[in-house]
Amino acid sequence: MHRIITGLAWASLVAVLGGCGADAGVTEAQSGDGSGAIELAEFPDRPYWGDTHLHTDNSIDAFGFGVRLGPEEALQFASGREVTATTGLAAQLDRPLDFLVIADHSDALGATRRLYDAPRILVRDPTLRRWYDMMHEGPQGSQRAIAELITAASNDELPAALTDPERQREATRTIWDAHLAMLDRYNRPGEFTALAGFEYTLMPDGNNLHRVVMFRDGSATTGKVLPYPGIDTEAEGLWDYMAAYEKGTGGQVLAIPHNSNLSNGLMFELTMPGGGPMTAEYARKRARWEPVVEATQIKGDSEAHPFMSPNDEFAGFGVTGWELGNLPLTAATTPEMQRGNYVREALKRGLSIEQRTGANPYAFGLVGSTDSHTGLATGDEDNFFGKHTGNEPGPDRAMAPQNLGTSEGRFGWHYLAGGYAAAWARGNTRAEIFDAFRRREVYATTGPRMVLRVFAGFDFTAADWRGDWVRAGYNRGVPMGGELSATGRAPVLMISALKDPDGANLDRVQVVKGWVDETGEAQERVYDVVWSDMAERARVGGRVPAVGDTVDRARASYSNTIGAAELRAAWTDPDYEASQRAFYYVRVLEIPTPRWPLFDRLRFGIELSDEVVESSVAQERAYSSPIWIRPSPMSPRSTAPAIMVGS
Amino acid sequence: MIRNWARDPLVHFLIAGALLFVLFAWRGEEPDPDSRTIAVDREVQASIALQFETMMQRPPTDAELDGLIERWLRDEVLCREALRLGLDRDDAVVRRRLAKKMDALASAQAETAVPSDTELREWLAAHPQRFARGASVGFDQLYFADEEAARAAQAQLRRGADWQGLGEPLSVPVSRDKASLRVVTDRYGRQFAAAIAGLEPGEAWQGPVPSGFGWHLVRLRAREEGAVPPLAAIRGEVEDDWRGATIAGRTEAAYRLLRDAYRVEIAE
Repeated sequence: MHRIITGLAWASLVAVLGGCGADAGVTEAQSGDGSGAIELAEFPDRPYWGDTHLHTDNSIDAFGFGVRLGPEEALQFASGREVTATTGLAAQLDRPLDFLVIADHSDALGATRRLYDAPRILVRDPTLRRWYDMMHEGPQGSQRAIAELITAASNDELPAALTDPERQREATRTIWDAHLAMLDRYNRPGEFTALAGFEYTLMPDGNNLHRVVMFRDGSATTGKVLPYPGIDTEAEGLWDYMAAYEKGTGGQVLAIPHNSNLSNGLMFELTMPGGGPMTAEYARKRARWEPVVEATQIKGDSEAHPFMSPNDEFAGFGVTGWELGNLPLTAATTPEMQRGNYVREALKRGLSIEQRTGANPYAFGLVGSTDSHTGLATGDEDNFFGKHTGNEPGPDRAMAPQNLGTSEGRFGWHYLAGGYAAAWARGNTRAEIFDAFRRREVYATTGPRMVLRVFAGFDFTAADWRGDWVRAGYNRGVPMGGELSATGRAPVLMISALKDPDGANLDRVQVVKGWVDETGEAQERVYDVVWSDMAERARVGGRVPAVGDTVDRARASYSNTIGAAELRAAWTDPDYEASQRAFYYVRVLEIPTPRWPLFDRLRFGIELSDEVVESSVAQERAYSSPIWIRPSPMSPRSTAPAIMVGS
Repeated sequence: MIRNWARDPLVHFLIAGALLFVLFAWRGEEPDPDSRTIAVDREVQASIALQFETMMQRPPTDAELDGLIERWLRDEVLCREALRLGLDRDDAVVRRRLAKKMDALASAQAETAVPSDTELREWLAAHPQRFARGASVGFDQLYFADEEAARAAQAQLRRGADWQGLGEPLSVPVSRDKASLRVVTDRYGRQFAAAIAGLEPGEAWQGPVPSGFGWHLVRLRAREEGAVPPLAAIRGEVEDDWRGATIAGRTEAAYRLLRDAYRVEIAE
């Protein structure tokens, strides 16, 4: 009798196998790309805020660092619900995000999790076994194991058990499928967009060539492929995979390089990878698949470095510590390498390569993101939840060495609180957000949600502000990310920068211009275009005086008694020459505000050195995507899709 | 009572199970792990080829297919031998994986079940706060950097001045209709959203109220209080919520069903 009941119950469970469709209850609008699901604005009418670079417990290193939050908690948190962080603190965003890309590492997706669960006796590989033991010692051992793991991955010394693609495939398939079904469940057109993605973790010799890969489509399409592995592959292989995806499924996909600052010059090379002049074919391919880069995140800011931009007094933001070497600090960065590490230099190199070959490999837009490994997409200074679970809020994290592996030189306070991506879209759906990235109508911030709008054309004037200037911008010009064909006249930029309504006032708006001069050399110049209290802050020796500093270091507070709520300008390039090949992007600076170590000092009563206190007051910022102008006639091939005007 | 009993999913579960049990009993056992025959029939080969094709976006060549079948065979042989040796029994990964699959089986029924309108209406009535729409507002606002200027403009409005000519430029919409609290907070900030919540709707210009930008005169034209929409308007959302909550219950109930068939002896 006992046996029969057991058998009966078992068969009952089997009975439900037939109807095993995990996505019931998810509407068609949720599981697709959102086209037609909601009413769209005539023009992109507001920026939507998101993080395109979040790790959860499906990431090999995040799990090892201790995180136990999965994609579901990550989606709940980003969309505004309260979750409990791995270390036990309740966490909730005071302002939810509009979209999220969970970008778990494609290599060994879920493998660390399985290692942790394995009975010790079965872990035979001596290295794996050592890591296994370290992980079971507790959080600290776990972090050490992961530091070793990253070093081994960069030195191509990963145990075969972790890298054998056939052994990984089965595990990846099920995690990927479950993940895609979950994304559909949380994807709500008009309210919250959950985009599928993964991180491609290419890292020769520890030099960071990582990309976030982001899909436009729902699970029915993305489920037809698997995440592409980074180990033992090259970026061109990733682009071939992306091309096969688009051709084979009719879907769309793009890649976002990040942490060029840790690439030891390899992210934005003038040459082909491995040397030799870059070919037009390679340049076109890169521009086709990588229309956007992540310019700022927790592991530093990659916009500009004082070494290349000695005349830019604001170029040093978020470079301290990170400028020393590659990701695991196994090789130092030489000054010459810095040129391949930073976005502004890459934009300039792109112009040079285009002048020579007719194709610009580095014609990309800019976004910020977190790269948080806690499952929590936090970007603000007063809510920094740490790079990974090992440095979630606590008294020791600000001063602790955080270098991976065994090298010296990087400390907790070097971490930035993380950035966000803003996308100008007509509505909040997968298709609209993705398309904004595709046409580069996106911008980066280091966390605050300032609203930055830029148009370029030839006939804008200050009088346009009095009318419907947004319509004028789209009808008579191009938005950020666009391209202008030269007419012989100097381009005019129409710029509006509105402060974060819950944040700090604005100090100034700058235009960063890059161009190729008559001798073929790439040049750059930073123009102060509009700033607060312009009457009192007249230029001294060609420079706009500093805005001031209201930060109370002890209380981690500031006051909006200086700065402006909005800065607007219709700015004409005073140095334009008709034959110039150039780009323009806008940088917006807030007034100085306290960084996260000052909040930590207040909360935990810790001691900070003077150096740390001083580096903990900073001017947060936004970077627009550039607008390019080419000498006429237009170069043979444009790499960007047409700019949308209305609909 | 009997109708309720007949609608209980657990009863469906048991009846369907009983039918399957009979079916299996009649057909005899599936091949057990000890079997020394492995049939790589056309069906298996087709599924192997199909898997390759979905992965690589093209069919495998003959040589590739031979290789794939060889690999499949290897897995199958080793898997059967591993089961014979009982390697699955003390493997935490296998155990957890299998247990998770059982949970998935149990929840699959809840995931595919189509709840009736009555069921959903009851669900909505039991959890109204989960579906209540926040208040929405329709308003016009005039922006001023300084409070003084805002007060001066307020005085002008009281004397009958045209509001269209007043206010300083700010790149946020002057007028909004049916804006949710979320939208007001996103565009105008928390301070403004809180201030507007304290105003009464009417034709008069109110304020100035502060925001992160400065000061605003506000004409709150309309406010719709938060309300629970009728089921027809939010059926999908209610169904999602019902499903999410039901899955947890079903998984537990299925476990209990199996668990009750065991006598557990825990040594003191």
